[in-house]
Amino acid sequence: METKIGVFLCNCGAAIKNIDFDAVAEEVVKSPGIACVNLSSDLCLEEGRKKMLSRIKEGNIERVVVAGCSPEFSEHIFREVLEESGVNGNLLSMANIREQCSWAHEGDVTEKAVELVKMAVNRVRLLQPVEKKELAVNKEVLVVGGGFSAISAALQLSRIGLRTTLLEEEAVLGDRPGKLESFYGVDPGAAIGAVEGDRNIEILTSAEMTALEGKIGDFKVGIRREGQEVLRKYGAIVLATEYETELALDSGMKSGPNIVSQEQLSNMLSDPRLKTKPKSVGFVFDFCDENSRFSTLATLHNALEAKKNWDSEIYVFYKSLKVDSRGVETLYKEARDCGVVFLKSEVAPRISVENGQVKIEARDIFLGEDITLTCDLLVAEELRRPVEGSERLSSLLSVRRDSRGFFQDENVHLYPVGSERKGIFFIGGCRGDLDLGRVLADISSVVVNVHELLSSGKALVDVERVRADPQKCVACLTCIRVCPHGAIQLVRSDDSKEVAGISDLACYACGICAAICPAKAIRFKGYGDDETLAQIEAVKESLDGRNMAFCCEHSAYPAADLAGRLRLHYRNNLRIIRVPCAGQVDVFHILKAFENGAASVLVMGCEEGACHHITGNARAKERVRYSKMLLKEVSVDDGRVRMFNLSPNAPHKFVKAVNEIAKITKESGR
Amino acid sequence: MIIAERKPMEEIKQLIAPYRKVLVAGCETCVAVCWVGGEKEVGILASQLRLARGAEGSEISVLEATVERQCEREMVAEIKDKVAEAEAVISLACGSGVQTMAEMFEDKPVFPGVNTTFIGMPEKEGLWVEMCGACGDCFLDRTGGVCPIVRCAKGLLNGPCGGTRKGGKCEIDPDKDCAWVLIYRRLEKQGRLDLMRKYYAPKNYRAVKRPGKVQAAKA
Repeated sequence: METKIGVFLCNCGAAIKNIDFDAVAEEVVKSPGIACVNLSSDLCLEEGRKKMLSRIKEGNIERVVVAGCSPEFSEHIFREVLEESGVNGNLLSMANIREQCSWAHEGDVTEKAVELVKMAVNRVRLLQPVEKKELAVNKEVLVVGGGFSAISAALQLSRIGLRTTLLEEEAVLGDRPGKLESFYGVDPGAAIGAVEGDRNIEILTSAEMTALEGKIGDFKVGIRREGQEVLRKYGAIVLATEYETELALDSGMKSGPNIVSQEQLSNMLSDPRLKTKPKSVGFVFDFCDENSRFSTLATLHNALEAKKNWDSEIYVFYKSLKVDSRGVETLYKEARDCGVVFLKSEVAPRISVENGQVKIEARDIFLGEDITLTCDLLVAEELRRPVEGSERLSSLLSVRRDSRGFFQDENVHLYPVGSERKGIFFIGGCRGDLDLGRVLADISSVVVNVHELLSSGKALVDVERVRADPQKCVACLTCIRVCPHGAIQLVRSDDSKEVAGISDLACYACGICAAICPAKAIRFKGYGDDETLAQIEAVKESLDGRNMAFCCEHSAYPAADLAGRLRLHYRNNLRIIRVPCAGQVDVFHILKAFENGAASVLVMGCEEGACHHITGNARAKERVRYSKMLLKEVSVDDGRVRMFNLSPNAPHKFVKAVNEIAKITKESGR
Repeated sequence: MIIAERKPMEEIKQLIAPYRKVLVAGCETCVAVCWVGGEKEVGILASQLRLARGAEGSEISVLEATVERQCEREMVAEIKDKVAEAEAVISLACGSGVQTMAEMFEDKPVFPGVNTTFIGMPEKEGLWVEMCGACGDCFLDRTGGVCPIVRCAKGLLNGPCGGTRKGGKCEIDPDKDCAWVLIYRRLEKQGRLDLMRKYYAPKNYRAVKRPGKVQAAKA
């Protein structure tokens, strides 16, 4: 028996004026399987939802199409209505006839609305239910590191009831001496005492991580300690290793009795046996690394100490002074009041040593003059770099590092403490130069994140939303290599064949794997090849001259919505297919669109370096390049397929891209 | 694993020029793994062929099928109806698959859609390198598991030649490792460097009878 589809059209309280809804209903009802077409003006409001619910129940509707506003806005509301009426929430398909149709074009757009509804109808026929299930997760947390951030995170995790292991390479816990106490008044001794006395925290010193398998809720970690390897299980991993510093000096210069680091200066300041107090001290910072909040704090603090203890003349050379950390503005004022001289320069000063004194040459941009000073002591700029072993740890954890080698990729979606893998977090110095305020924010953030994931001991997941069919999988390992979230592993299928196993817990449902699988074994419910091709098929007859756009739901799709809301009009021959990530768009989908007569195909994803799925937009770009090659081979103008990167708040860029391609296809007579 | 590369489109177009109904037949084994002959590539080539004919203004009907292993008669037999329907077949399998198909459907022209290149392994995602020349007389026991016959540009049995570059690269291609440096390092790790001093007489390639046949020892 044919499945019963209920179509609900909503004019959004008459906000959609240029569509003849009766005509849409009349046209749509002709499609096979349509049990009813309902008109509404308030579908998302309580009254409308109630009516929708009773219609679904009365008519024994099995699948639902809603045509009205953007799914970005209301999909979750209608999914709930479906669930309430006993229909799986995944059996819903929406036609965006408001933002991407009515509001996006001038004049009557009934014809486009009909096509959009037909696309949704075609798609809904192929949707499959996605069940939800609770999976048990391991509630123990591994914190790697032994410094202030690691210790504090372990204490707070323990306080919310999660058993925590502190894993430290060194033999004892604690930062390098003097670093924190002096600047912040924090007593690491007390914190160390607290973790040592906490029975919920296990401390493993002189230990290192040697292997990692599994995924969030079920990480298996190999740990080597005192020559012995043990395997331990954790639900989440928090990396809180520190950073190292080196002096940023020109070649030929090196540290010595009169060129020192902040730490060496701290030691000199607290040394009662210091023979001669330097009469003049120069500080240099913020030239090599503009992320210099900690150096600003250290400089101001140490400059004041030197002024007070030694009564030296103090000169501070800087590019820009960052006083947005807590208490730093006050320190800066205090330093000025005490007579510390601040000299702003655009380029790093030239340093040389003459007759046992350090010569500092710079151009003060306020005075507009070149300045030469000689000091007894220079506190050189410090460069932060990742600790040794970071590279090994990143490959062990399968997480990317930033361009300087610190943990956490520069992708904005990972901030503040996330990684591309669920259940692996970074806090504090291992992800760059951070001052105490930010470290504390990191710790709170990671505690909230871990609490949300693990505290209940179970996690609600979509069951097999993305699944590799063990019969079709050829175990080529491609998906395992490309999954940006480390969610796929080689597993034994029921008939004991080795196949790709996608973890429901770790999967973000981006579809990158499905698009690259050479055996077409990966089925992504809702965004499969079938659903995509069915949408193309729906507009096939009228596709000639149409531009198809695959729009990422994180960027281009909301940008298109925004364009509609702002009434930025564009030609109404654009048909948008919503995708979970540009990386889900397959070369095959692009070719199929052309085969069915599309004038052009746009693949629209997030800005470069800002993909929610890390590599999705880069893969999309690569696939578009490959599609161009394939099209060229068969004498199809390769300018008809294009990749665009944009952010969700860039409606003008969206419209510009659409108009550009419309112009090209129009000129070429398509 | 057998590695192959897609033939140039121009060549494929010419092969099927006289036909109006062709079958693109893939294989779900080696060529699927190296991204040239699985269901995905069958779909892509079929789509391309339709577009090509569309651009030329001539008609074509392209059928698609994939076989678990195209070098097995029983498995190829599963698509016999589709083969019967088509005027010609483009096989995206290795040469062995093409021949199995051609032998089973002798009245049908079966064309190779890929060039079978070598036996190899993936170096990283999407890049395959040659590892074995299928010489029929394996030498790997003497070379620490590195085959100089295919991995040395000169196929030297007594290497290295005099041209090894700094950093252990090959003089013919600085992007490639010198196989004999790899062999040396491997044997060093195993404490078997004495093998480097051994002289190996030229290999008797005539031992490789063509066409090769392997009879399993047990039935």
